[in-house]
Amino acid sequence: MKELTEQTKQNITNMILDYYAEECEVDRDSLTMATRPQEDLESDSLMFVEMVETMSDKYDLDIKLQSIGKYLLKTPMNTMQDVADMFCKIYQYGNDIVNQ
Amino acid sequence: MYQKAFLFNGIGTKAEHLLIKLPPALIDKYHYYADEEFTRLGLNSALEKNLPFDRKVAEWIVSLLCDRVVYEYYLSQGIIPDIGAGYSSGIVSISGCFGAVSHSFANDIIMMNRATMECLSQHNLRLDVGIIIGLDYQIVNELFKNRFSKEELIVGSANSIISTMITGKAEAIDDAIELCLREGAIKAYRFKTGVAYHHPMMKEYCKKYTDLCAGGEYRDPDHPIISIFDNRIMTSGSDIRTENIMNVYTPIRWDLAISELENMGVTEFFDVSANGAVKKFTRVNKKKCRIYTLDEL
Repeated sequence: MKELTEQTKQNITNMILDYYAEECEVDRDSLTMATRPQEDLESDSLMFVEMVETMSDKYDLDIKLQSIGKYLLKTPMNTMQDVADMFCKIYQYGNDIVNQ
Repeated sequence: MYQKAFLFNGIGTKAEHLLIKLPPALIDKYHYYADEEFTRLGLNSALEKNLPFDRKVAEWIVSLLCDRVVYEYYLSQGIIPDIGAGYSSGIVSISGCFGAVSHSFANDIIMMNRATMECLSQHNLRLDVGIIIGLDYQIVNELFKNRFSKEELIVGSANSIISTMITGKAEAIDDAIELCLREGAIKAYRFKTGVAYHHPMMKEYCKKYTDLCAGGEYRDPDHPIISIFDNRIMTSGSDIRTENIMNVYTPIRWDLAISELENMGVTEFFDVSANGAVKKFTRVNKKKCRIYTLDEL
């Protein structure tokens, strides 16, 4: 398990918000942690996958999409907060996120 | 030898999602081509006013027209392809854009999908394609191995490590989607095409389509095109004819076609779709290659 510092947590959150602002072509300041990527921004699963890949490259994460998929069966991802929580868990646990 | 490859998308994107991506100059050009072709083909440009099968093919014609407009824009910007690839009905689109067939004939080919749908309806067959996001070809094949017969369901296209297309009987597609989601797919859904594109069973039901493709006038394409079925490099009108004939009933290996293009030296891929859809499901070696979209250019 990797240690998740407050700084890393903030960096991950910022990266997520920046990513959705750019991809969904919305003002970054209009996004909150309660924003729902699918309902409010019409984001799609391929956009989400690309974000996973970007995060994986940046933080050198070894994560299988299948592990994320199984995690999402137990813990659906509705809001930006859910997305941030999930990526923090990926950072900490990698593929073992399935068991979190 | 090859540096720039143009990639053409297949069907699936709603017309409004494509048209909204075209800048004003390109939307004018689109309307110019659309007015001509919709009139010639007897389609209503207000898509919802078409009969059901007509409505479907009309959406696909919009996709081809958008491709043409984007392709011509890229050329006008000095971006010239060394080679190209077309995903599914993207084969028809690239055939037109690369000059192997006339644009009118390319649209006629798309229109002939109507005959295939009518044939399936007469046989009371419920078929479809589905998309699995997050599971690759090998995982999906392994999951299906002892659960579905090939007649029921196969992998229609190995798109990339993050995307697989499945094709076959609608009930089997539904079951496969449930299975894939349980096994960790990020998303899985049916396309609702009504046709099991790229399933060998379709050969029996698409005779009018294949006859049209076989009987058309073809010339050598302006640029080579890689086959998405067997990776051969096609440079003759005869090659393109064969590729179009095979299209409806042959499984695709898009991942291998992209890989082969990389092996041949391509480092710049240009997504010809108006909304950058090809880039989303295609994967290249990011250390050496890049995929550009209309938005970025």
